[in-house]
Amino acid sequence: MSVVAFLNDSIAVAENEYRQFRRNRSAILISLVVLPLFFTVSLGAGQGGAGTTFSPTANIPMGFVDNDNSLASLRLWQTLASSPDFHNLIQSYDEQAAIAELGTKRIYAVIVVPKGFQNDLESGNQAKLILYTDDSEPGVSDQIQSTLTSYVQSYDPNVEVQPHLSQLQRQSVAGVGILTKGAVFAGFNIGLTTVLAIVQIFAGFYEIAGGISREREEGTFARLLVSPISIGSIVLGKTIFDVLLTVIRTFTVLGIAFYGYGARPNTNLLTLLALSLIIALVTMGIGFVAASLKLGQRAVVIVEFFLILFLFAFSGLIIDINLLVGISQVVGNLLPFTYAFDALKRTILLGRPLLSLTFDLEYLIGSILVSYTVALVLLHIFRERLIT
Amino acid sequence: MPEEAITTKDLTKTFGHFPAVDGLNVGVGKGELFGLLGPNGAGKTTTVRMLCTLIEPTRGTANVVGYDIREQAAEVRRQIGVVSEGVSLYKDLTIEENLKLLSTLYEIPRPKAEVRIRELMDMFAFREKASRLIGALSSGWAKKAMICAALLHSPQVLFLDEVTSGLDPQSAIALQDFTKKQCDQGVTVIWTTHYMGEPEKICDRVGIMFAGRLVQVGTPNELKHSVSELSMVEVETPDLSKTQLDKVKLKLKTMKHVCRVTYLDSKLQVSCERTETLAEEVAAALLDVGARIRTINTKDPTLEEAFIALTGGEEEIDRFLESAGQKA
Repeated sequence: MSVVAFLNDSIAVAENEYRQFRRNRSAILISLVVLPLFFTVSLGAGQGGAGTTFSPTANIPMGFVDNDNSLASLRLWQTLASSPDFHNLIQSYDEQAAIAELGTKRIYAVIVVPKGFQNDLESGNQAKLILYTDDSEPGVSDQIQSTLTSYVQSYDPNVEVQPHLSQLQRQSVAGVGILTKGAVFAGFNIGLTTVLAIVQIFAGFYEIAGGISREREEGTFARLLVSPISIGSIVLGKTIFDVLLTVIRTFTVLGIAFYGYGARPNTNLLTLLALSLIIALVTMGIGFVAASLKLGQRAVVIVEFFLILFLFAFSGLIIDINLLVGISQVVGNLLPFTYAFDALKRTILLGRPLLSLTFDLEYLIGSILVSYTVALVLLHIFRERLIT
Repeated sequence: MPEEAITTKDLTKTFGHFPAVDGLNVGVGKGELFGLLGPNGAGKTTTVRMLCTLIEPTRGTANVVGYDIREQAAEVRRQIGVVSEGVSLYKDLTIEENLKLLSTLYEIPRPKAEVRIRELMDMFAFREKASRLIGALSSGWAKKAMICAALLHSPQVLFLDEVTSGLDPQSAIALQDFTKKQCDQGVTVIWTTHYMGEPEKICDRVGIMFAGRLVQVGTPNELKHSVSELSMVEVETPDLSKTQLDKVKLKLKTMKHVCRVTYLDSKLQVSCERTETLAEEVAAALLDVGARIRTINTKDPTLEEAFIALTGGEEEIDRFLESAGQKA
C-alpha cells in the first residue's frame, strides 16, 4: 500500500468519524459541552477564581494586623473589608497572638501591614504586606494569597504580598508542595491544571475505546476489515478526528477557565494546546490498546473509571508524587499522566517553557509511541477477535 | 469445470478444541453460483469469514481469484464483496455516504465512483431513499444497501452469507434473480444458507456442510439422487374402504420396485424405486378396485431429504444442534 493510499484511507476514516459525530447529538453534547463544562465548573465552583462573583475566600476568617497605623493601612483595611472577597476579616492588634491562632481553624490567614508601609508608598519604594497562611487546608492558602495579591495590586501596584512560611506550613504534608516553593498563583490556575488533564483523559479514552467497541458490536468494524484498508489507517483516521475534538474541548475549557473563573496561566495558549494534545494522544494510545482487547462498552466505562482513579491517586493530582511511598510511588513514577500533570503544573503555575521540560516531554512522547505501537501490534494479533 | 475462482486446500479453523471447519477441500468455478448449505453452527459463516480474510485459518489455505488468503489478504479483499451477518454499514450515515467512504477505501477514482454509486442507487431504486440514514431503513432496504456496498468495486467474488434471512418473500426472490444475473456476468457467488429451498432453486452447485465438514458437493439434482433412488406417488382417493385398500396394497406389493404403501387422511402414498410408470400403475390399481381418484401427484426427493440423509438423519442433526448450542 502506498503512503498516499494510506493517508487517503486515514482521512476517509476521519471524515467518516466526523459525519457520524455531527449526527449524534448526545455525542456532541457529552464530548464537547457536558464534559468540559462539568469538570471546569465543578472545580471552578469548588476553587473559585479572581474573576468570579462567587468568591471562595469570602467567608474564610482571616486576621488583619495593622502595625503601621497609618492612613494608607487604614485605606487598605477599608478596601479589603468592603470587598466581596474578604467578608470575614477580623482586626487584630497583636501579631503573635494572631499567628498563634493559625491551625486552630478559627482563622486561616493573617494579613500583617508592617511598620513603614505608608512611608514606603510615599517614597515610591515597594511596600510589603506579610501573609501568614494555614496550609493544612490544601488550596485555601493558595486562594487567599492569589485573591489578596490581585486586590493589593489594584489598590497600589507598589504593594507586594510576601508569603511567609510559618512553622505550621513547614510541618504540614499533603498539598503544600507548591506553596512552600514560594510560587504565587492567580485565580483558577491550579484548577486549570486538573481540568485540562481530566477532561482529555476522560473524553479521549472513551471516544477511542468506546467508539471501536461500538463499531465492533454494530459490525461496521468488520465492514472496514473486509475492505483493503490497513489497521494503521483506521488508527490514524480515528486519531486525526479525536485530535480535532481535543482542540475544541481544550478551547472550551480554557474559555470557561479564563472568562468564568479568572484563570491567568503563566504560559501561552500554544503550550496549553500542545500539552492537552499530548495528554489526549497518550490516552488515545491506551484507548486503542483497550480496544484491541475486545472490551465491551460497559468494560470500557469501568476501565475509564480506574484510569481516572489512578490519575487522582498516583499522578500527583492530589498528593505530590514525592510524598507517595512504596509501591504507590513506583506506580506513580511509571504512569505517563504523572509527567503530564507535572508539565501542566510547571508551565501553568511556574511559567516554565514547555521545551525546557525535557524529561516530562520525553516520557510523554515515549508513552505515545509505546502505546500506539502496542495497540497496533495487538490489533493485528487480535484482529479476529474484533469481529463479532 | 470452468476456470476456478476459489480453491480451498485442507481449510481448517478450530476455536479452542472445537473444529468449526475441518479440512475443507472445494473448488468453485468462475461465474458459478455455489451454495453452502447447512444448519446453524455447521461452519458456513466461518468458511466465508476465512475466505474473506476476516479470520485466519488454523490449518490449510485457500486461493481466491488467484490470491492466497494468508499471504495476499489485502489483494483478496480488493477482489471480493461481502454481505454477511456481523458486517454492517454505518447506521448514522446515508447509503451514499457509506458508499463514498468505501469508494475511497477501494481506491476508486472519484468521478468513476460517483458514476458507479449513481448506477447502483438506480439499480436498487435507492434514489428516493438517498438521504435516509441506514439506521432508518427497513431490514430489506438495509440489506439492499449492503449489497450495493458489496458490489461497489465490481468484485469478482461475492459472498452472500444468510442474505435472505429477515427478508420478505418478494425481496428474497428479487435478490435470488439479481444474484443469478451477477453470475451470468461472470461474478462468482458463494451463497450460504440454512433454508433448504433456496440453493435448490438458484445454485449451480451445492456443498452440504455439517459439523465443520463438507459432506457432499454436487448440483441440487445430483445431491438429491445421490441419497435416494426413491420416488413417491401421492393419490387423493376419498372413501377408500379397508377391502379396497387391502386389494390395492396386495396388487402394488407384487410389483418388485414398490417399497411402501400407506393410507392416511384420504391420501394413498406409494414409495418405490425410481420408475417412470409408477403413477400409471398406482392409478390402474385403484381404478381396478373401483376407487375414486381426486388428485394424483408424483414427488421427487427434496434437497432437505437429501441433506438429512447425508448428515446422518434427523437424530444426528438434533444431536449436533444441541452440542452446537451448548458450545455457543
